[in-house]
Amino acid sequence: MDKFEQRNSNSLNNPVLQGKDPDFGDPEFDQWLSQQLQFNEPYLDNDGFCERVMEQLPAPSKRAERRATRVQYAAVVAASAIVVWQFPFGEVLSEAVQQSISLYSLVGLGVLSSLVAMTGGILAARR
Amino acid sequence: MDLNDEDLIRRVVEDGDQRAYAQLVRRYQSQLRFSLRQLCDGDQALADDMAQEAFIKAYKALPAFRGDARFSTWLYRIAYNLVMSYKRKKAPEVDQEAVDRAQADESVEEAQQLGMARDLNSAMSTLSDAQRQAVHLCMQRGFSHEEAASIMKLPLGTVKSHVNRARAKLQTMLQAWREEVVSG
Repeated sequence: MDKFEQRNSNSLNNPVLQGKDPDFGDPEFDQWLSQQLQFNEPYLDNDGFCERVMEQLPAPSKRAERRATRVQYAAVVAASAIVVWQFPFGEVLSEAVQQSISLYSLVGLGVLSSLVAMTGGILAARR
Repeated sequence: MDLNDEDLIRRVVEDGDQRAYAQLVRRYQSQLRFSLRQLCDGDQALADDMAQEAFIKAYKALPAFRGDARFSTWLYRIAYNLVMSYKRKKAPEVDQEAVDRAQADESVEEAQQLGMARDLNSAMSTLSDAQRQAVHLCMQRGFSHEEAASIMKLPLGTVKSHVNRARAKLQTMLQAWREEVVSG
């Protein structure tokens, strides 16, 4: 949300300016004063402020980290399960037999490629 | 993608996602630093230190944040507490040089502003600290009287009274400008 929107939403949501407050004075003056105050306020550039704050934050808790890791593993396992469920193993096997491809090399290739895909997925998710 | 405060807080607390917290810092840094500059009597370095400390303290306390109030109200409460407690401890050791420097900078900026802004600043400076803070929080930041009372740690009636008195004073001082705007 940019500053203009933020300012306007501040004004719109403010019960003091909406006349909902029992001690409400002159609504027009309040609205005008609020606008003047907001429009005269400079925007302070981040200028490294956020980075300085982030540098000083303590490391995230181990619990949160473990939870995130568990979620990532669960996502990879679920994705693998869907692939296994949908993959036409029977057809591939019969085709392999017909083409006289070694069953062992085919299974080995499948396991290896699954491992590579899972490792890649985990590494990508942890970045 | 711009997530709302609640979603960002959930990510920070549940996933330890510090990037989500960085978004919150970027969202509120300007407003908080500007508010604290006023509270620190123009000492910009002190205000920035206090804002930084407030964000760090808020991060550490985030798991205890129950969402009863808005994040911004809660953050302001932490920041105001920090400044007030600093002022109580360090009152005699205010860095007068830094204050003078900041005020000199402000004077240059003020000189560049047009009449309305200058008169508004000057009218605001005639208010008491508490009145100025109450007006700032309620009319500039959009906090309700209740939220301002909780931030300033004052009774609700006192905050309302500060706002009303300040409003009356400002209305008198800025009447000419307002009439000019109305009459076009």
